Amino acid sequence: MADGGWLDRFVDSLPTRGWFKFISNHLVVPLWAWREPTPRLPGGPRPATAPGDGLQRMMNLIMPLKEKTPIGRARVAVAIGQNLDALYTGLDNVGTIHFARFVIVDNNLCMMSVYDGDFDSYVRDFIVSIGNVFDAVLQFIEDADDVVPTRRNVEKFVAWVHARDVFQLPDFATDLFALQAAARRPSADGSPRPLTALPRAVILQLRANRNVSLGSGFRGYAGFSAAQIRQRLGIGW
Amino acid sequence: MSEVRLDNVQGNILRGYRGGLRHVRHMMLAVADPAAARRFLAAASRGGSVDVPAITRAPHWGAADPPACFNIGLTHAGLRALGVAEAMLATFPREFVEGMAERAVKLGDIGDSAPANWPAPFDRPDRIHLVATGYANSPGTLDAMQAAASRAFDVLGVRDGRARTERDVLGSDRDGDNLPARRVFFGYADSIAQPRFAVDGHAGSSSTRPLQPLGTVLLGYPTQLEGVFFRVPLSDELGRDGAFNAFRVMAQDVSAFEAYLDDAGEALLRLEQAGGPPLLPVDAEASFDRPIDRLGALREAVAAQMCGRWRNGTPVAVSPFHPLPAGSRKAFNDFDYRGATTCPAGAHIRRVNPRDGMIVQRNANYARQLVRRGTPYGPDFDAAQPDDRERGLLGNFLCASLGAQYEAVMSDWLNLGLSNPDVTGINDPLIGTNTPEMSVFDLRLADGLYHHLRGFPRFVTTRGGSYTFLPSLAAIDYLAALPG
Ligand code: HEM
Repeated sequence: MADGGWLDRFVDSLPTRGWFKFISNHLVVPLWAWREPTPRLPGGPRPATAPGDGLQRMMNLIMPLKEKTPIGRARVAVAIGQNLDALYTGLDNVGTIHFARFVIVDNNLCMMSVYDGDFDSYVRDFIVSIGNVFDAVLQFIEDADDVVPTRRNVEKFVAWVHARDVFQLPDFATDLFALQAAARRPSADGSPRPLTALPRAVILQLRANRNVSLGSGFRGYAGFSAAQIRQRLGIGW
Repeated sequence: MSEVRLDNVQGNILRGYRGGLRHVRHMMLAVADPAAARRFLAAASRGGSVDVPAITRAPHWGAADPPACFNIGLTHAGLRALGVAEAMLATFPREFVEGMAERAVKLGDIGDSAPANWPAPFDRPDRIHLVATGYANSPGTLDAMQAAASRAFDVLGVRDGRARTERDVLGSDRDGDNLPARRVFFGYADSIAQPRFAVDGHAGSSSTRPLQPLGTVLLGYPTQLEGVFFRVPLSDELGRDGAFNAFRVMAQDVSAFEAYLDDAGEALLRLEQAGGPPLLPVDAEASFDRPIDRLGALREAVAAQMCGRWRNGTPVAVSPFHPLPAGSRKAFNDFDYRGATTCPAGAHIRRVNPRDGMIVQRNANYARQLVRRGTPYGPDFDAAQPDDRERGLLGNFLCASLGAQYEAVMSDWLNLGLSNPDVTGINDPLIGTNTPEMSVFDLRLADGLYHHLRGFPRFVTTRGGSYTFLPSLAAIDYLAALPG
């Protein structure tokens, strides 16, 4: 765009100037957000229309720790460690999981996994398989007391996970508009939004959802379920 | 297990009425005057009114079947319209709160089946508050029930608000009639398999199939999943003995189905005449329950494998090459898919209920069972004079959790085929969202190898539906007594 005029050069340099960043972050963005309320969007993949899209879906579950100290982090690390065998056996029994791992990032316990099929079924099968083991881990997690024991709180736990699984920005950037419109309903007027509004929409969404997944992720062998891969490798599904 | 109080349970949950009562009408009702609606519910629960049909309850009827039955289900909007407090409304599970139309993508209701294409009254799902269902042997009885309902509610989707008595009306019709021999369109015998409960007088109780815990269909009881209880809505007392229902209007393209069987049968005949592997052993047609030529037998075998049952109900897992003489329902239900079964993994009934067969989700055998109450609607189909008038199935899928049972079956098993790696990514052949370009079904040949069947279209299109809560009698009394 810049055609070399001093004004263009000045405008282009704005994003790097400290005073400008300060005004943007503390005044302009909050003002936008006030004018254009942007609800927090729920986590996880959205229901798929093509069968292939229903496979290898990503979960990025972020669970803030109750105790945000080295001791608190150690507690949850030990709880996971002590139950690792049971957790892995349970994950295996769910049958639809490609990978799953537990990670501590800052003061959050994160569970990152790749699974096949419907999100609700996955979380439900997870509870059936390892709910009682996972209950022991949940005692170290913030705002989780209400969902324990998970087997008695299936619906609540599914919603709880949905709220903590990070929002996945659509693979096609402009699909974000439709998701935002659906979340704002019934006030949405349905008129198409100009492409130039996209950066602003992303900024507002990242204000509402601090952590996001950038797209649904890369797949090295798209379109295969965990069981299909195991079957082809001859290791039994 | 805690004893169930049968007189607190609506009669259509643990038992179907189709054996004795031919006609069914599903009435979509809107609450216009909450007080009038509540008076109707009170009278329906109490019974003995000349103006309001009594709710049929579950206890054993003894020798004489009632001449008519009447049951109700409520949507979330309906509970609100009757005056249920917000705090109570919030006790219902998310999928029920959102309603069937909102869950369309998960249910495979896309393209022609999308809610945007549903005819009235399903084009305005929020308006549907109650689904009242009447069962009788004469349409006149159903008209009387509808007239009674119309005095307390707005009856949605009927022309000039009047009942219709003819069976061959289109579009907004939700009258169902039994076809001869308990068949459904596409010509299959139906109502064979149902989960079996340890309840006195329950239909399935003579079978040797494993008993299912009551929490499969009734709220407030242990479920098939060890230690798992689904949330009981309203309160433990009021929600107990209720159930959820997915009501679906599914149009069946019978002409397209029969035409596809013609094509497939001919292709398979040409294949074996050219020396290819046969679908049926030599002379299998001689073992059929009626005289049939080779082409006819191949055609029937395709239909059988797609469903998992021959059209007279014989399970393919029991008899892979020909139907057995029409037996008792019990005989046609006592089988499973353990070991090397002869039923293809893609067959409709094996997808929706894998029984004891090995599946990917190891904890899910028997955990997603559904009680089915379905009736055909629309004009009879005459194979000699095929036509394209709308006909199909009015399906009711009852369960304790729509999310954990109905939706899980629809999304992961019917549409995605996740339960078995051989069919993952492939849709149900009978009712899936298929296109001729993409569709595939693996037929099991006589030698045990498989043959890809391709090029079939979508045979079933969703025309409407609603998620309802089938309250216990205690809950109906509670609703009837709400203030305001
Ligand atoms: C127009 C649509 C449909 C047709 C024509 C159809 C047809 C059939 C037939 C012929 C049977 C065998 C009869 C029996 O075992 O009692 C059957 C069984 C069954 N169908 Fe469907 N069906 C349809 C839609 C659905 C849908 C939407 C579901 C949803 C989940 C479903 C679930 C079942 C189940 C659970 C069984 C029993 C399987 C068993 O327990 O072995 N069906 N269906």
